[in-house]
Amino acid sequence: MDYTLDLGAVTRNMGPLMDGLWVTLQLTLAANVIGVIAGFALALLTTSKLALLRWPSMLFVEFFRCTPAIVQIVWFFYCVPMIFNVFWGPVFMGIIALGLNLTAFNAEAYRASIQAVPREHLDAGIALGLSPTQRILNIVLPQALRNSVPVLLTNGIGIFQQSALVAIVGVADLMYQGKTLATATYRPIETFTVVALIYLAISYPVGQFVNWLERRQSHS
Amino acid sequence: MGMTLDFSILLRFTDALAIGLWTTIKLTLLCIVLGTSLGFVIGLLRSSGNAFVRGLLGLYVELFRGTPVLIQLFWIFFCLPLILGVEFSNFVSATIALTLYMGAITSETFRASLRSVGREQMDACVALGLPRAAQIVNVILPQAVLRAVPTLLSNAVSLFKESALVSAVGMADLMFIGQNISNNTARPVEVLTVVAGIYFVIAFPLTRAVTVVEQKLLRKFSA
Repeated sequence: MDYTLDLGAVTRNMGPLMDGLWVTLQLTLAANVIGVIAGFALALLTTSKLALLRWPSMLFVEFFRCTPAIVQIVWFFYCVPMIFNVFWGPVFMGIIALGLNLTAFNAEAYRASIQAVPREHLDAGIALGLSPTQRILNIVLPQALRNSVPVLLTNGIGIFQQSALVAIVGVADLMYQGKTLATATYRPIETFTVVALIYLAISYPVGQFVNWLERRQSHS
Repeated sequence: MGMTLDFSILLRFTDALAIGLWTTIKLTLLCIVLGTSLGFVIGLLRSSGNAFVRGLLGLYVELFRGTPVLIQLFWIFFCLPLILGVEFSNFVSATIALTLYMGAITSETFRASLRSVGREQMDACVALGLPRAAQIVNVILPQAVLRAVPTLLSNAVSLFKESALVSAVGMADLMFIGQNISNNTARPVEVLTVVAGIYFVIAFPLTRAVTVVEQKLLRKFSA
Protein backbone atom coordinates (compact mmCIF):
# COMPACT_ATOMS: atom_id res chain seq x y z
CA MET A 1 0.00 0.00 0.00
CA ASP A 2 1.67 3.24 -1.12
CA TYR A 3 -0.77 5.42 0.75
CA THR A 4 0.37 7.14 3.93
CA LEU A 5 -2.35 7.78 6.44
CA ASP A 6 -2.86 11.35 7.60
CA LEU A 7 -5.47 11.56 10.32
CA GLY A 8 -4.80 15.29 10.58
CA ALA A 9 -6.81 15.76 7.39
CA VAL A 10 -9.84 14.62 9.37
CA THR A 11 -9.06 16.08 12.81
CA ARG A 12 -8.50 19.53 11.25
CA ASN A 13 -11.98 19.28 9.74
CA MET A 14 -13.99 17.99 12.67
CA GLY A 15 -16.18 21.14 12.56
CA PRO A 16 -18.20 20.19 9.46
CA LEU A 17 -18.40 16.56 10.63
CA MET A 18 -19.83 17.65 13.97
CA ASP A 19 -22.32 19.94 12.18
CA GLY A 20 -23.32 16.91 10.13
CA LEU A 21 -23.64 14.75 13.24
CA TRP A 22 -25.92 17.37 14.77
CA VAL A 23 -28.18 17.22 11.68
CA THR A 24 -28.13 13.39 11.84
CA LEU A 25 -29.15 13.47 15.52
CA GLN A 26 -31.95 15.96 14.79
CA LEU A 27 -33.24 13.71 11.99
CA THR A 28 -33.05 10.64 14.24
CA LEU A 29 -34.70 12.15 17.31
CA ALA A 30 -37.50 13.90 15.42
CA ALA A 31 -38.22 10.82 13.29
CA ASN A 32 -38.39 8.78 16.52
CA VAL A 33 -40.89 11.18 18.10
CA ILE A 34 -43.09 10.75 15.00
CA GLY A 35 -42.50 6.99 14.82
CA VAL A 36 -43.22 6.23 18.49
CA ILE A 37 -46.48 8.22 18.56
CA ALA A 38 -47.86 7.70 15.03
CA GLY A 39 -46.71 4.05 15.09
CA PHE A 40 -49.04 3.33 18.00
CA ALA A 41 -52.00 5.05 16.29
CA LEU A 42 -51.29 3.10 13.11
CA ALA A 43 -51.05 -0.17 15.05
CA LEU A 44 -54.52 0.47 16.51
CA LEU A 45 -55.83 1.00 12.97
CA THR A 46 -54.24 -2.23 11.70
CA THR A 47 -55.91 -4.16 14.54
CA SER A 48 -59.28 -2.43 13.94
CA LYS A 49 -62.39 -4.51 13.29
CA LEU A 50 -63.41 -2.15 10.48
CA ALA A 51 -61.99 -3.31 7.14
CA LEU A 52 -62.14 0.26 5.85
CA LEU A 53 -59.59 1.30 8.51
CA ARG A 54 -57.63 -1.95 8.58
CA TRP A 55 -56.83 -2.41 4.88
CA PRO A 56 -55.36 1.02 4.03
CA SER A 57 -53.29 1.05 7.23
CA MET A 58 -51.96 -2.46 6.54
CA LEU A 59 -51.10 -1.44 2.98
CA PHE A 60 -49.19 1.56 4.39
CA VAL A 61 -47.18 -0.69 6.71
CA GLU A 62 -46.44 -3.26 4.01
CA PHE A 63 -45.40 -0.61 1.48
CA PHE A 64 -42.72 0.73 3.82
CA ARG A 65 -41.58 -2.76 4.86
CA CYS A 66 -41.34 -4.09 1.30
CA THR A 67 -39.58 -1.28 -0.57
CA PRO A 68 -36.00 0.02 -0.15
CA ALA A 69 -35.68 3.02 2.19
CA ILE A 70 -33.65 4.83 -0.47
CA VAL A 71 -36.55 4.50 -2.94
CA GLN A 72 -38.92 5.90 -0.30
CA ILE A 73 -36.64 8.87 0.41
CA VAL A 74 -35.96 9.70 -3.24
CA TRP A 75 -39.68 9.34 -4.01
CA PHE A 76 -40.56 11.66 -1.14
CA PHE A 77 -38.02 14.34 -2.09
CA TYR A 78 -38.90 14.35 -5.79
CA CYS A 79 -42.61 13.58 -5.84
CA VAL A 80 -44.10 15.32 -2.80
CA PRO A 81 -43.01 18.79 -3.98
CA MET A 82 -44.42 17.98 -7.42
CA ILE A 83 -47.76 16.63 -6.21
CA PHE A 84 -48.46 19.14 -3.44
CA ASN A 85 -46.35 22.02 -4.69
CA VAL A 86 -44.49 22.34 -1.36
CA PHE A 87 -40.90 21.93 -0.20
CA TRP A 88 -40.33 22.35 3.53
CA GLY A 89 -36.55 22.51 3.42
CA PRO A 90 -34.25 19.48 3.24
CA VAL A 91 -33.97 18.66 6.96
CA PHE A 92 -37.71 18.82 7.59
CA MET A 93 -38.41 16.77 4.44
CA GLY A 94 -35.86 14.21 5.67
CA ILE A 95 -37.54 14.06 9.09
CA ILE A 96 -40.96 13.36 7.54
CA ALA A 97 -39.60 10.74 5.12
CA LEU A 98 -37.70 8.89 7.87
CA GLY A 99 -40.59 9.39 10.32
CA LEU A 100 -43.07 7.71 7.96
CA ASN A 101 -40.73 4.75 7.47
CA LEU A 102 -40.24 4.37 11.23
CA THR A 103 -44.01 4.72 11.83
CA ALA A 104 -44.61 1.64 9.68
CA PHE A 105 -41.91 -0.46 11.39
CA ASN A 106 -42.98 0.61 14.88
CA ALA A 107 -46.63 -0.16 14.07
CA GLU A 108 -45.55 -3.76 13.46
CA ALA A 109 -43.80 -3.86 16.83
CA TYR A 110 -46.80 -2.38 18.64
CA ARG A 111 -49.25 -4.66 16.85
CA ALA A 112 -47.66 -7.77 18.35
CA SER A 113 -47.75 -6.20 21.84
CA ILE A 114 -51.34 -5.01 21.48
CA GLN A 115 -52.47 -8.49 20.50
CA ALA A 116 -50.62 -9.88 23.54
CA VAL A 117 -52.67 -7.80 26.00
CA PRO A 118 -54.82 -10.39 27.82
CA ARG A 119 -58.52 -10.35 26.89
CA GLU A 120 -59.40 -10.43 30.63
CA HIS A 121 -57.77 -7.04 31.18
CA LEU A 122 -60.06 -5.47 28.59
CA ASP A 123 -63.07 -7.26 30.05
CA ALA A 124 -62.11 -5.92 33.46
CA GLY A 125 -61.95 -2.43 31.92
CA ILE A 126 -65.47 -2.86 30.52
CA ALA A 127 -66.66 -4.12 33.93
CA LEU A 128 -65.18 -1.01 35.57
CA GLY A 129 -67.16 1.12 33.15
CA LEU A 130 -64.13 2.57 31.30
CA SER A 131 -64.84 4.15 27.92
CA PRO A 132 -63.11 2.64 24.83
CA THR A 133 -60.67 5.58 24.82
CA GLN A 134 -59.89 5.08 28.51
CA ARG A 135 -59.37 1.36 27.89
CA ILE A 136 -56.86 2.11 25.13
CA LEU A 137 -55.01 4.78 27.12
CA ASN A 138 -55.01 3.05 30.52
CA ILE A 139 -54.87 -0.66 29.71
CA VAL A 140 -53.53 -1.24 26.17
CA LEU A 141 -51.02 1.61 25.81
CA PRO A 142 -48.97 1.07 29.00
CA GLN A 143 -48.60 -2.68 28.38
CA ALA A 144 -47.96 -2.37 24.64
CA LEU A 145 -45.40 0.36 25.24
CA ARG A 146 -43.52 -1.61 27.90
CA ASN A 147 -43.40 -4.80 25.82
CA SER A 148 -42.37 -2.92 22.69
CA VAL A 149 -39.46 -0.96 24.18
CA PRO A 150 -36.65 -3.26 22.96
CA VAL A 151 -38.03 -3.35 19.40
CA LEU A 152 -38.74 0.40 19.42
CA LEU A 153 -35.13 1.03 20.44
CA THR A 154 -33.83 -1.36 17.78
CA ASN A 155 -35.96 0.38 15.14
CA GLY A 156 -34.87 3.76 16.49
CA ILE A 157 -31.20 2.92 16.08
CA GLY A 158 -32.04 1.45 12.68
CA ILE A 159 -33.41 4.82 11.59
CA PHE A 160 -30.24 6.49 12.92
CA GLN A 161 -28.32 4.35 10.42
CA GLN A 162 -30.90 4.75 7.64
CA SER A 163 -30.74 8.52 8.07
CA ALA A 164 -27.43 8.42 6.15
CA LEU A 165 -29.55 7.95 3.02
CA VAL A 166 -30.72 11.57 3.06
CA ALA A 167 -27.15 12.50 2.06
CA ILE A 168 -28.06 11.19 -1.40
CA VAL A 169 -30.79 13.81 -1.80
CA GLY A 170 -28.53 16.59 -0.54
CA VAL A 171 -29.30 16.91 3.19
CA ALA A 172 -26.10 18.03 4.95
CA ASP A 173 -25.96 15.23 7.53
CA LEU A 174 -22.91 13.36 8.85
CA MET A 175 -22.72 11.11 5.80
CA TYR A 176 -22.97 14.07 3.41
CA GLN A 177 -20.28 16.05 5.25
CA GLY A 178 -18.07 12.96 5.32
CA LYS A 179 -18.40 12.43 1.57
CA THR A 180 -17.73 16.13 0.90
CA LEU A 181 -14.66 16.06 3.12
CA ALA A 182 -13.33 12.84 1.59
CA THR A 183 -13.62 14.36 -1.88
CA ALA A 184 -12.15 17.73 -0.90
CA THR A 185 -9.12 16.34 0.96
CA TYR A 186 -8.55 13.21 -1.19
CA ARG A 187 -8.52 11.31 2.09
CA PRO A 188 -11.31 8.72 1.73
CA ILE A 189 -9.75 6.11 4.02
CA GLU A 190 -9.29 8.40 7.02
CA THR A 191 -12.58 10.25 6.49
CA PHE A 192 -14.89 7.30 5.88
CA THR A 193 -13.29 5.34 8.71
CA VAL A 194 -13.79 8.18 11.18
CA VAL A 195 -17.37 8.73 9.99
CA ALA A 196 -18.14 5.01 10.29
CA LEU A 197 -16.70 4.99 13.82
CA ILE A 198 -18.86 7.97 14.82
CA TYR A 199 -21.96 6.04 13.71
CA LEU A 200 -20.71 2.96 15.56
CA ALA A 201 -19.96 4.93 18.75
CA ILE A 202 -23.64 5.85 18.96
CA SER A 203 -25.36 2.70 17.74
CA TYR A 204 -23.18 0.13 19.57
CA PRO A 205 -24.01 1.22 23.15
CA VAL A 206 -27.72 1.40 22.31
CA GLY A 207 -27.55 -2.09 20.80
CA GLN A 208 -25.86 -3.43 23.95
CA PHE A 209 -28.50 -1.72 26.10
CA VAL A 210 -31.25 -3.42 24.05
CA ASN A 211 -29.57 -6.81 24.56
CA TRP A 212 -29.41 -6.22 28.30
CA LEU A 213 -33.06 -5.10 28.35
CA GLU A 214 -34.17 -8.20 26.44
CA ARG A 215 -32.25 -10.47 28.81
CA ARG A 216 -33.84 -8.73 31.79
CA GLN A 217 -37.34 -8.98 30.31
CA SER A 218 -36.95 -12.66 29.48
CA HIS A 219 -35.93 -13.38 33.09
CA SER A 220 -38.88 -11.56 34.66
CA MET B 1 -53.05 18.77 -7.24
CA GLY B 2 -52.24 20.57 -10.49
CA MET B 3 -50.67 17.73 -12.45
CA THR B 4 -51.88 14.98 -14.74
CA LEU B 5 -50.32 11.56 -14.44
CA ASP B 6 -49.28 9.68 -17.55
CA PHE B 7 -47.94 6.22 -16.83
CA SER B 8 -47.78 5.35 -20.54
CA ILE B 9 -44.41 7.10 -20.86
CA LEU B 10 -42.94 4.11 -18.99
CA LEU B 11 -43.75 1.81 -21.89
CA ARG B 12 -40.76 3.26 -23.76
CA PHE B 13 -38.45 2.20 -20.93
CA THR B 14 -39.56 -1.35 -20.15
CA ASP B 15 -36.31 -2.80 -21.56
CA ALA B 16 -34.11 -0.48 -19.52
CA LEU B 17 -36.05 -1.22 -16.33
CA ALA B 18 -35.88 -4.96 -17.03
CA ILE B 19 -32.08 -4.76 -17.43
CA GLY B 20 -31.83 -2.81 -14.17
CA LEU B 21 -34.02 -5.33 -12.37
CA TRP B 22 -31.90 -8.19 -13.71
CA THR B 23 -28.76 -6.51 -12.33
CA THR B 24 -30.48 -6.07 -8.96
CA ILE B 25 -31.59 -9.72 -8.85
CA LYS B 26 -28.22 -11.07 -10.03
CA LEU B 27 -26.33 -9.04 -7.44
CA THR B 28 -28.78 -9.96 -4.67
CA LEU B 29 -28.73 -13.70 -5.37
CA LEU B 30 -24.94 -13.79 -5.63
CA CYS B 31 -24.53 -11.94 -2.32
CA ILE B 32 -27.17 -14.11 -0.62
CA VAL B 33 -25.18 -17.24 -1.51
CA LEU B 34 -21.75 -15.78 -0.68
CA GLY B 35 -22.94 -13.85 2.39
CA THR B 36 -24.88 -16.73 3.92
CA SER B 37 -21.92 -19.09 3.47
CA LEU B 38 -19.62 -16.53 5.06
CA GLY B 39 -22.12 -15.95 7.86
CA PHE B 40 -22.38 -19.68 8.53
CA VAL B 41 -18.62 -20.08 8.91
CA ILE B 42 -18.35 -16.96 11.09
CA GLY B 43 -21.31 -18.01 13.21
CA LEU B 44 -19.63 -21.36 13.87
CA LEU B 45 -16.24 -19.79 14.62
CA ARG B 46 -17.83 -17.30 17.00
CA SER B 47 -19.59 -20.12 18.84
CA SER B 48 -16.33 -21.97 19.38
CA GLY B 49 -12.72 -21.23 18.42
CA ASN B 50 -10.22 -19.34 20.50
CA ALA B 51 -10.80 -16.01 22.21
CA PHE B 52 -8.66 -14.00 19.78
CA VAL B 53 -10.58 -15.25 16.72
CA ARG B 54 -13.87 -14.67 18.53
CA GLY B 55 -12.91 -11.10 19.40
CA LEU B 56 -11.72 -10.27 15.90
CA LEU B 57 -14.87 -11.67 14.28
CA GLY B 58 -17.02 -9.93 16.89
CA LEU B 59 -15.41 -6.64 15.87
CA TYR B 60 -16.19 -7.30 12.19
CA VAL B 61 -19.82 -8.19 12.95
CA GLU B 62 -20.40 -5.15 15.17
CA LEU B 63 -18.76 -2.85 12.62
CA PHE B 64 -21.08 -4.00 9.85
CA ARG B 65 -24.19 -4.11 12.03
CA GLY B 66 -23.54 -0.75 13.68
CA THR B 67 -22.82 1.45 10.67
CA PRO B 68 -24.96 2.54 7.69
CA VAL B 69 -24.71 0.17 4.72
CA LEU B 70 -24.13 3.24 2.56
CA ILE B 71 -20.83 4.00 4.31
CA GLN B 72 -19.78 0.36 3.98
CA LEU B 73 -20.36 0.65 0.23
CA PHE B 74 -18.42 3.91 0.02
CA TRP B 75 -15.59 2.39 2.02
CA ILE B 76 -15.29 -0.63 -0.25
CA PHE B 77 -15.67 1.51 -3.39
CA PHE B 78 -13.23 4.31 -2.55
CA CYS B 79 -10.88 2.92 0.09
CA LEU B 80 -10.30 -0.75 -0.71
CA PRO B 81 -8.79 -0.05 -4.17
CA LEU B 82 -6.41 2.49 -2.56
CA ILE B 83 -5.35 0.01 0.13
CA LEU B 84 -4.89 -2.94 -2.21
CA GLY B 85 -3.64 -0.89 -5.14
CA VAL B 86 -6.05 -2.58 -7.58
CA GLU B 87 -9.03 -1.30 -9.52
CA PHE B 88 -12.34 -3.15 -9.11
CA SER B 89 -15.34 -3.04 -11.38
CA ASN B 90 -18.55 -1.64 -9.87
CA PHE B 91 -20.04 -5.10 -9.76
CA VAL B 92 -17.10 -6.58 -7.85
CA SER B 93 -17.06 -3.72 -5.33
CA ALA B 94 -20.81 -3.98 -4.76
CA THR B 95 -20.53 -7.77 -4.38
CA ILE B 96 -17.73 -7.47 -1.79
CA ALA B 97 -19.63 -4.83 0.21
CA LEU B 98 -23.02 -6.56 0.23
CA THR B 99 -21.42 -9.98 0.92
CA LEU B 100 -19.61 -8.60 3.96
CA TYR B 101 -22.83 -6.96 5.19
CA MET B 102 -24.85 -10.14 4.62
CA GLY B 103 -22.11 -12.22 6.29
CA ALA B 104 -22.32 -10.07 9.41
CA ILE B 105 -26.10 -10.24 9.80
CA THR B 106 -26.42 -13.94 8.95
CA SER B 107 -23.59 -14.90 11.31
CA GLU B 108 -25.70 -13.47 14.13
CA THR B 109 -28.70 -15.46 12.89
CA PHE B 110 -26.68 -18.71 12.91
CA ARG B 111 -25.17 -17.92 16.30
CA ALA B 112 -28.60 -17.39 17.85
CA SER B 113 -29.97 -20.59 16.31
CA LEU B 114 -26.94 -22.61 17.48
CA ARG B 115 -27.58 -21.31 21.00
CA SER B 116 -31.26 -22.26 20.78
CA VAL B 117 -30.52 -25.96 20.25
CA GLY B 118 -31.17 -27.23 23.75
CA ARG B 119 -28.70 -28.44 26.31
CA GLU B 120 -30.62 -31.76 26.54
CA GLN B 121 -29.73 -32.50 22.89
CA MET B 122 -26.04 -32.31 23.82
CA ASP B 123 -26.63 -34.46 26.87
CA ALA B 124 -28.39 -37.07 24.72
CA CYS B 125 -25.38 -37.12 22.35
CA VAL B 126 -23.05 -37.70 25.28
CA ALA B 127 -25.32 -40.43 26.65
CA LEU B 128 -25.28 -42.15 23.25
CA GLY B 129 -21.49 -41.86 23.22
CA LEU B 130 -21.44 -40.01 19.87
CA PRO B 131 -18.04 -38.60 18.87
CA ARG B 132 -17.78 -34.77 18.89
CA ALA B 133 -17.82 -34.48 15.08
CA ALA B 134 -20.96 -36.61 14.80
CA GLN B 135 -22.64 -34.56 17.54
CA ILE B 136 -22.11 -31.39 15.53
CA VAL B 137 -22.79 -32.73 12.02
CA ASN B 138 -25.74 -35.01 12.76
CA VAL B 139 -27.48 -33.43 15.73
CA ILE B 140 -26.65 -29.77 16.31
CA LEU B 141 -26.20 -28.33 12.80
CA PRO B 142 -29.35 -29.73 11.14
CA GLN B 143 -31.52 -28.36 13.94
CA ALA B 144 -29.69 -25.03 14.07
CA VAL B 145 -29.95 -24.49 10.30
CA LEU B 146 -33.66 -25.35 10.33
CA ARG B 147 -34.31 -22.89 13.15
CA ALA B 148 -32.36 -20.21 11.27
CA VAL B 149 -34.44 -20.52 8.07
CA PRO B 150 -37.12 -17.84 8.77
CA THR B 151 -34.58 -15.23 9.88
CA LEU B 152 -32.32 -16.10 6.94
CA LEU B 153 -35.25 -15.46 4.61
CA SER B 154 -35.80 -12.07 6.27
CA ASN B 155 -32.10 -11.34 5.89
CA ALA B 156 -32.37 -12.16 2.18
CA VAL B 157 -35.30 -9.75 1.77
CA SER B 158 -33.32 -7.08 3.65
CA LEU B 159 -30.40 -7.60 1.29
CA PHE B 160 -32.68 -7.27 -1.74
CA LYS B 161 -33.82 -3.89 -0.38
CA GLU B 162 -30.32 -2.74 0.63
CA SER B 163 -29.06 -3.57 -2.88
CA ALA B 164 -30.80 -0.38 -4.11
CA LEU B 165 -27.97 1.55 -2.42
CA VAL B 166 -25.50 0.53 -5.12
CA SER B 167 -27.24 3.14 -7.29
CA ALA B 168 -25.49 5.74 -5.10
CA VAL B 169 -22.08 4.55 -6.31
CA GLY B 170 -23.12 4.54 -9.95
CA MET B 171 -24.03 0.92 -10.50
CA ALA B 172 -26.84 0.50 -13.05
CA ASP B 173 -29.33 -1.43 -10.92
CA LEU B 174 -33.11 -0.95 -10.96
CA MET B 175 -32.95 2.13 -8.73
CA PHE B 176 -30.18 3.79 -10.75
CA ILE B 177 -32.00 3.23 -14.06
CA GLY B 178 -35.25 4.42 -12.50
CA GLN B 179 -33.63 7.64 -11.28
CA ASN B 180 -32.07 8.20 -14.72
CA ILE B 181 -35.40 7.80 -16.48
CA SER B 182 -37.06 10.01 -13.87
CA ASN B 183 -34.49 12.78 -14.45
CA ASN B 184 -34.58 12.51 -18.25
CA THR B 185 -38.35 12.55 -18.55
CA ALA B 186 -38.99 14.95 -15.63
CA ARG B 187 -41.71 12.50 -14.58
CA PRO B 188 -40.57 11.42 -11.09
CA VAL B 189 -44.05 10.60 -9.80
CA GLU B 190 -44.84 8.02 -12.48
CA VAL B 191 -41.34 6.56 -12.78
CA LEU B 192 -40.39 6.35 -9.11
CA THR B 193 -43.82 4.99 -8.17
CA VAL B 194 -43.43 2.20 -10.71
CA VAL B 195 -39.88 1.48 -9.47
CA ALA B 196 -41.17 1.28 -5.88
CA GLY B 197 -43.97 -0.96 -7.16
CA ILE B 198 -41.49 -3.37 -8.78
CA TYR B 199 -39.52 -3.71 -5.52
CA PHE B 200 -42.80 -4.20 -3.64
CA VAL B 201 -44.13 -6.89 -5.98
CA ILE B 202 -40.98 -8.95 -5.32
CA ALA B 203 -40.46 -8.27 -1.61
CA PHE B 204 -44.07 -8.53 -0.44
CA PRO B 205 -44.66 -12.22 -1.34
CA LEU B 206 -41.27 -13.04 0.18
CA THR B 207 -42.11 -11.39 3.51
CA ARG B 208 -45.43 -13.31 3.49
CA ALA B 209 -43.47 -16.51 2.86
CA VAL B 210 -41.28 -15.74 5.89
CA THR B 211 -44.38 -15.63 8.08
CA VAL B 212 -45.73 -18.91 6.68
CA VAL B 213 -42.40 -20.72 7.12
CA GLU B 214 -42.09 -19.32 10.65
CA GLN B 215 -45.49 -20.68 11.65
CA LYS B 216 -44.76 -24.08 10.06
CA LEU B 217 -41.48 -24.38 11.96
CA LEU B 218 -43.04 -23.21 15.22
CA ARG B 219 -45.60 -26.01 14.93
CA LYS B 220 -42.84 -28.47 14.11
CA PHE B 221 -40.72 -27.51 17.11
CA SER B 222 -43.60 -27.27 19.55
CA ALA B 223 -44.99 -30.67 18.48
